[in-house]
Amino acid sequence: MEQVTSSLAPPRASAPNKSGPASSSQSGAGSVTKRLGNELMTLMMSSSPGISAFPKTDSNLFDWIGTIEGASGTVYAGLTFRISIHFPPNYPYVAMAIKFETPCYHPNVDINTGSICLDILQDKWSAVYSVQTILISLQSLLGEPNNASPLNNDAAAIWDNQEAFKVQLMRYYRPLKDDTA
Amino acid sequence: MATDALRAQVASKWQESFARLNHNEPGIVGLLNFTQAWNIARECIRPRGLDEPDSFTQYDKSTFQASFELLNKSRRLPILLESLLEDMRKRFPVIKEEVDRYTLEYERTSDTSFILNLVFRLLKWYKKWLPMQELGATLHSAFVLSFQTHLFSVLTPTFVRGFKDLCASTLPSTDPRTNVPAPNVEMWQAFEILGLLDRYENIIASVGYEHIEAHVVAACSGRWSNPMLGQLRKWMTDKVVPWMLLMYARNATTADDARAMLQNVGSRFDFHMAKTLCDLRTKEIFDIIIDYPDSSGALQDLKECLHRVDQRASLVHTLRKANQKRLLHPGADTRLILTQYVATIKCLRVVDPPGVLLFKVADPIRRYLRERPDTIRCIVSNLVGDDDSGDSLVDESEPIQPLQQYELDDYLDSNWEPEPVDAGPDFRANKPSDVISTLVSIYDSRDLFVKELQLLLAQRLLAIIDDDTEKVEKERRNVEILKIRFGEAALQICEVMLKDMTDSKRIDGHVQSQKASIVHPIILSKQFWPMLEATEIVMPGQFRTLQDEYAKEFSAFKPDKKLRWLPHLGTVHLVLHLEDRIVEVDVPPLEAAFIELFSQQDVWTMDELIAKVGSSVDGTAALKALLTWVDLGVLKEQAENTFRLLEVAESAADGAREWRTVTKSVIELPSAPSLQQQQAEQMRVYWKFIEGMLTNLGSLSLDRIQAMLKLAPGYDQTIEQLGIFMEAARLEELVVVRDGMWKLTPK
Repeated sequence: MEQVTSSLAPPRASAPNKSGPASSSQSGAGSVTKRLGNELMTLMMSSSPGISAFPKTDSNLFDWIGTIEGASGTVYAGLTFRISIHFPPNYPYVAMAIKFETPCYHPNVDINTGSICLDILQDKWSAVYSVQTILISLQSLLGEPNNASPLNNDAAAIWDNQEAFKVQLMRYYRPLKDDTA
Repeated sequence: MATDALRAQVASKWQESFARLNHNEPGIVGLLNFTQAWNIARECIRPRGLDEPDSFTQYDKSTFQASFELLNKSRRLPILLESLLEDMRKRFPVIKEEVDRYTLEYERTSDTSFILNLVFRLLKWYKKWLPMQELGATLHSAFVLSFQTHLFSVLTPTFVRGFKDLCASTLPSTDPRTNVPAPNVEMWQAFEILGLLDRYENIIASVGYEHIEAHVVAACSGRWSNPMLGQLRKWMTDKVVPWMLLMYARNATTADDARAMLQNVGSRFDFHMAKTLCDLRTKEIFDIIIDYPDSSGALQDLKECLHRVDQRASLVHTLRKANQKRLLHPGADTRLILTQYVATIKCLRVVDPPGVLLFKVADPIRRYLRERPDTIRCIVSNLVGDDDSGDSLVDESEPIQPLQQYELDDYLDSNWEPEPVDAGPDFRANKPSDVISTLVSIYDSRDLFVKELQLLLAQRLLAIIDDDTEKVEKERRNVEILKIRFGEAALQICEVMLKDMTDSKRIDGHVQSQKASIVHPIILSKQFWPMLEATEIVMPGQFRTLQDEYAKEFSAFKPDKKLRWLPHLGTVHLVLHLEDRIVEVDVPPLEAAFIELFSQQDVWTMDELIAKVGSSVDGTAALKALLTWVDLGVLKEQAENTFRLLEVAESAADGAREWRTVTKSVIELPSAPSLQQQQAEQMRVYWKFIEGMLTNLGSLSLDRIQAMLKLAPGYDQTIEQLGIFMEAARLEELVVVRDGMWKLTPK
């Protein structure tokens, strides 16, 4: 059983495993795969502008890469951020792990590790959320940060000065390269 | 001295010769005797003119013998023979002149009697010159050889031609009414004596062959209903064998003897007959197949001939070529190709039961059929026995059996036989399977058929109007039959569709009992029906009300289900009350929707009407609907695309005629989207996936895209199809490709 799980689970040791015991059974893994397949289908067929995600490889549904475009009217407008999504074996009972791969200067995002401080990814997680809802939440988080619990204190401090914030943002921002795959 | 020695030598030779010729007679009496004998012998075997008297008349027999004995004793016979041959050579121009004269005459008139006369003439010469039997076999055979050599050297090609004609003229005519010419025994004897038979044996044989060919072609072309081989063999025995007897069994003394002599040549002639018939049938094979089963006799012949003659390769070649030329081209109807294919299967099974020929011939047909878009539809509509599709491909008598799967070799099969020698490497010895199995096996997967079956069933079920339970029952019977072929599981969806039909009736009954309505919907389970063409007609006015009321009752009855109307699939029975008349018609919903709108206002433009019923209606359909009413005299096109309601009929005469007419407008079959449209629909889904992966993963190779698309449910396209699709996307400037890597067009 361990082997089955580990072959399905991503090999990345760095991913924080919040799931506790990796004791999901084979049928459990199957149902997770099925759920992820459904989420992928839903995400593909819905046309939410500016958000997208797709599994990295066809053999492993637990590692996805996502893309978020900054919403227009915000300081992030016109910028595209790449994120990585990792699903735990007992998803959706435990939230997926998401971090920014593109450096993102944002009050709730760690500029170095890319980890995100968003309540629904932590204690407010519920199994009814999906990749799509999380991505939409992230997109809106960009425009409306929660300055009460910042990960990036500098960013939180200058948020009110959008001009200065934009300058800082652009200093860290790296446009996407095409050949990521 | 040398001269002495020479002299002595000459003297001894002279003595010796003299002694031999003189035979120890006194003086030169012996020598004189020898001279006389020599002269007599020369004179008697000398080649003479035909008008000269024979040597017998001049001398008496014993004189010859005495002379010959004398010569023989003196060992001078070889010299005599030489001089005879030399004389013959000198005399031969006389014969040559005659040969030339006769052949020239033949050339002029083409009358074989000249040749015949020539032969007899030659025979006369031959007999005249032939030395007497008593002179010994050596002399005789030397003479015959020399005579024939000289003779053949003067015979011209014209003579050969004439000789052939002459032989041919002795054959029984192909026309059965004329009598067999009396065998001209003398002629054949003359041929033999002159050595013509041996020399021209192949010419005579070719005369026989040509005769057989001509007869076979004349007797058998286009006659396929009965086996001809037996008749031909009888003809051979009756007509050709007597002729052959003259030539090949001339020396036979008893019947057995003759049979033994004929055996060899007879089998050659028989082979030739079989080959000719085989060639003929091969040439005709395409038409024979068309005529099947009326041409089963020809097929029997072909089978037997192929046993005798190895012409299988040429049969395959000819049939493939004929198919290519006459069948597998865009001008041929798919049904026709299928019919011919089925006939081919049946025919070649007669000719070659193991199926090697069929396999080789069928391959191009199957490949071609696979490329035709409507092949499946044709096969399927035949399976369900569409009434309007003409005669069925399937034999009524053939028992319905499950489709055969390609079976692995059964190693325990005690009736196993090796594959025929000319089977190709990919030949599969298929057990004689039923036609439907063979047709279905054109495609690798039978899913396609099942899908098409569902489409067809949907179409047919929706076409049923007026609660025709009988028709539903008929479909049910069909499905039951198909279940036997395709298996229970494959047709589950069809089952559900049929169940929907009956359930609809039940539900409708219930809803009607709650609140009577004139709407009688057929309630389809969306998941189980093929995607139906979605046009979103919004029914206006009272129709809308009726629909909504019904939907309300329905949701009260089945709270967990919701009705989604597909109004364009229905029909509406309308009674229009106009000022001066009542029009009663059955029309498609679009027509009904339009006329409903006319009840609100008398004049509409077409664009306004379309806007009212939902923009998904295209102009052509709308115009068609309006023209239906114009034809019925209810509307009138006022200006271009503007229509006015005729409350009062336009002309009195017309109105009178239209008075309360119940008109049936033609209601077309609701068309379910074809498989291809559905595929396009599917491809749209896949495009979303491709877009998604390219957005997030950057540029990808075609292989990667193909692999990633496995994540999309139900993806079943090949990489080639994907390539075509991507190329289409590239042309629409959705993607760009560089070095085999695809990516989205940068914004």
